[in-house]
Amino acid sequence: MKMLAPALLVAVASTQIALSRTFDLTAWKGGGFGMFSTLDHAGYRGVDIVVDAPDRSESLQVPASIELAVARAAACPADRMLRAVAEAVVARERRYQRPVSRVTLTFWRADFDRATLRPSERPVRTFVYDVP
Amino acid sequence: MRPIALRELAFSSQGGAAARAPAAEVDAAGDPRPVRSPVQARDIAMCLTAIALLLRPMGPWFVRPAILAVAVLMILSPALLRSALAWGAIAVMVAVRIADDWPLADNHVYLLGYWAFAIALSLRARASADTLACSSRWLIGLAFVFAVLWKTMLSPDFLDGRFFRVTLLTDPRFGDAAQLIGGLSSGQLAANRKALELLPPGAELLDPPSIAEPARLRLLASAATWGIVALEAAVALAMLLPAPAVGSSVRHGALLLFCGTTYLFAPVAGFGWLLLAMGVGQLDDRQTVLRRVYVAAFLVVIFYGEIPWAGLALDAGRG
Repeated sequence: MKMLAPALLVAVASTQIALSRTFDLTAWKGGGFGMFSTLDHAGYRGVDIVVDAPDRSESLQVPASIELAVARAAACPADRMLRAVAEAVVARERRYQRPVSRVTLTFWRADFDRATLRPSERPVRTFVYDVP
Repeated sequence: MRPIALRELAFSSQGGAAARAPAAEVDAAGDPRPVRSPVQARDIAMCLTAIALLLRPMGPWFVRPAILAVAVLMILSPALLRSALAWGAIAVMVAVRIADDWPLADNHVYLLGYWAFAIALSLRARASADTLACSSRWLIGLAFVFAVLWKTMLSPDFLDGRFFRVTLLTDPRFGDAAQLIGGLSSGQLAANRKALELLPPGAELLDPPSIAEPARLRLLASAATWGIVALEAAVALAMLLPAPAVGSSVRHGALLLFCGTTYLFAPVAGFGWLLLAMGVGQLDDRQTVLRRVYVAAFLVVIFYGEIPWAGLALDAGRG
């Protein structure tokens, strides 16, 4: 009985490491105790959004209504998370009666030069959502 | 429910019976002296955990009020404080909070869930205090093992110093310390932050600004990098090595040293309070001095979080 909670900790933390390796889950989140170990965190990760339709191709600033979904996708850019962002974008565009046929999401993160510390933004993954 | 105050009587091991029993001694005026029953370390650990729940309310609207209400009732009622059901409910609500916005919960929220679960299990065990102490050691030890693993083996930018070099310059929560200890001027700090701003993909400045890193700042970054790894490794070893190899004083000394130094800088007091509450959970009822030290450390972490000490010291230095 005394080892049940520690066993749960090991299971979750091991899963977090596996997710960080397979789905780019940030070390800071997910219960793996990787906080304060890397610059790869919310401040230096993000998701860029481009909306396409027959008459438009537009880059969107992240609106407040989908900030949470974007934060979750930036922390773990798995298909499920990115699809949730894309669906939220489509729903929002339709609320404003704007045409949308495709949403392209680009997950990026920043790298810092070892010597100069100069940062550069590196696209890691692109997710395309064709509106059904 | 029997209302109590946070006095030792309230936590007597005999519960209400001892508090109501006739006093065995009288004072010089002939009035009965209150019976002073020993406080159980386990009760203090649980009470500090409940206080930590109140100090940092967490979760969405459908769990936050329930967590706060249970925590308040635990502090008021020893019966509820020792209720496996109540701690199990806290563990479930913390799990709901984690699942609700996964993966955004901080790591100490996970540890809080494990700890509440461990308390609930220990309260159902025959050797309750031993069970809780053992769970506490393993939970802290394993959490620190994973923390060290991330810093030393899994992260590409920690041991080479980049993490603290950049964080000291860009994280506003460390700005005062970077100036006070690292020797940066406020102008240098602002210029460095500008230089470290991200450019759009493919963009490059013709004449990129250089980053000012005085020797003291580099030394601070190195000390933070290696110091935190050394401290975390020491806590992990102290918790996980068997008792004959590591004495109780070494184990508690390592944990208190970690909390006393780390939370002076790290802006995560909630993690500190939780670790200290878990540390108390490892004490036996005779270790009253250590128990007081832990409670004092809990208060110190409150002060660390609430007093902008580095900013005040900077202001004082500027006259």
